[in-house]
Amino acid sequence: MKRPAETPAILRDLRSLKVVVIHPHDQDGEELLAQLQRIGCEVEVFWPRVDCLPAGTGLIVMAVRPETLSMNFPWLGASSSPPVIPVVTYENPITIEAVLQLNAFTTIPSPVRSFGLLTAIAVALTQFKASRARDRYIDRLEQKQAKLRLIQQAKQIVMEARGVSEEEAYQLLRSQAMLKREQIETVAGEIVRAHETLSF
Amino acid sequence: MTSADSGCAPGPIRIGVLYSRSGVTSAAELTQLQATMLAAEEINLAGGVLGREVELVCLDPQCQPRRYADLAEQLILEHRVRIIVGCYMSSTRKAVIPIVERHNALLFYATPYEGFEYSRNVIYTGAAPNQNTLPLAGFMLTHYGSRVSMIGSDYVCPYESNRVMSDLILERGGEKVDETYLPLDARWESYLEAARRIRRLAPDFIFSTVVGEGIPHLYRAFAHVGLDPYRMPIASHMTSEAEIAIMGAGVAEGHITSAAYFQSIDTQANRLAVARYQARFGGDQATNMCWEAAYFQMHLLADAMRRVASDDPTLLLRVLPGLEFDAPQGRVRIDEHNNHTYLHPLIGRVNAEGRFDIIGRAPERVKADPYVVSHRTPRWTTDARPDLARSGGAR
Repeated sequence: MKRPAETPAILRDLRSLKVVVIHPHDQDGEELLAQLQRIGCEVEVFWPRVDCLPAGTGLIVMAVRPETLSMNFPWLGASSSPPVIPVVTYENPITIEAVLQLNAFTTIPSPVRSFGLLTAIAVALTQFKASRARDRYIDRLEQKQAKLRLIQQAKQIVMEARGVSEEEAYQLLRSQAMLKREQIETVAGEIVRAHETLSF
Repeated sequence: MTSADSGCAPGPIRIGVLYSRSGVTSAAELTQLQATMLAAEEINLAGGVLGREVELVCLDPQCQPRRYADLAEQLILEHRVRIIVGCYMSSTRKAVIPIVERHNALLFYATPYEGFEYSRNVIYTGAAPNQNTLPLAGFMLTHYGSRVSMIGSDYVCPYESNRVMSDLILERGGEKVDETYLPLDARWESYLEAARRIRRLAPDFIFSTVVGEGIPHLYRAFAHVGLDPYRMPIASHMTSEAEIAIMGAGVAEGHITSAAYFQSIDTQANRLAVARYQARFGGDQATNMCWEAAYFQMHLLADAMRRVASDDPTLLLRVLPGLEFDAPQGRVRIDEHNNHTYLHPLIGRVNAEGRFDIIGRAPERVKADPYVVSHRTPRWTTDARPDLARSGGAR
């Protein structure tokens, strides 16, 4: 492994990271809070529930215990919600299932120790960022794929209706799009819909 | 909460001591051992702790991390010790932490290290990077320039120090012209080769994170190839009077170190402590930053034991955070939240006598911030107007 030339941005920005801790005020809760403060994050503690996350929350550290299983956090699963690091006290299948539902990249075991929290935060933030970027990339690919499919369908229709080659069909679509000042996929969509309307 | 049986039993209070008498970093560790002995003798002369003598159980880990761990366990299990002072390199501290945590013992660690650690069972009395590397970087980049050559021993503490330095160099648009790591047991020839490369690269200064026996090699190699410390100094946060004693003042003169303590500090507490030390161990004995931390942590510990009338770590941990002491460097304080110590950062330059002229000092003691990633350069290091002429000293 090679050392990076520069300190990773995620670590540089830790002091402005807003962390929401959803955890009871027990020994684990105290240890978590103290270590997050040593690291220098901005911390707010909630228990047992938080219906609305404070603006700018960048990370959630959350106890997953038998009593939290029935709780419903409305913000969970929303596309805008930050990554969650579960603090786990049990390793039975039900608790593990609850952890899996949080889409966590890492966990913190109870009893909480100061050591390991910083690494868990770095892993969670980095993987979350990478996963967000991947999701956006997949979205773009899917949209592009849908457009291509539409154009392909429209070309097929034009080829059959006009008896032209694939290249000629494409050029026809393109010139229509330019004439109407529209995207080629819009024209293609109109053709496909019109064709579907006629195909009864 | 259990009451401390050992604390109420008659007889001496035993404290475990893990400093190496041989091995790569033994020069500094030996001074820590003697500082611990001096402090223990002072405590006993003053009547001990609650009428009981402090008794040191000194074992020699020979600079091998595994031995620190084994001997720590031996101290706890066989010598019934609950408090250990010692460790030097980070690898040795990391080896001992699981042991003191498992047995709920307490380690006092008196050496500067790379930060990013907190154990409930460790009190850190040496400097964190924001108390030594950061001031040194600010001072050197401001007063010497930002073309920097880095040389260090090949282990974790130098990597982290160089990361801090690299970030600050980049921030100023400077240039890291070289980054070399040599094994802890590297020979003279390797240092000579490094010194020749430095001469060829002609940086503004050299940032050294070399530790132990390599330090005299580096400074001698530097002199050997004819480099002038007054024009292109080696800046370090580990080179102390202990290593200068080995390399000689002639070789060390002009080079720069940042530390919370130098032997030359002009305080009443320091003059008395140094005099007592030399009376006990010999007039030629030099003190240093690691010596001082090892010395004052014993007095902090004794004070804490008096307050709780016990040597039980759980009870001691209730009073140690926030505790203050008039150390040779000035008044120090254990932080309430991170178990590290507020210290007084200084920049010193070696003079012809092998002592440090203080050419920069923090206006007040500085809280240790072991988890800071992005450092902000302290104003006093950039605003300082040090006299850097050959005979320069404190303003």
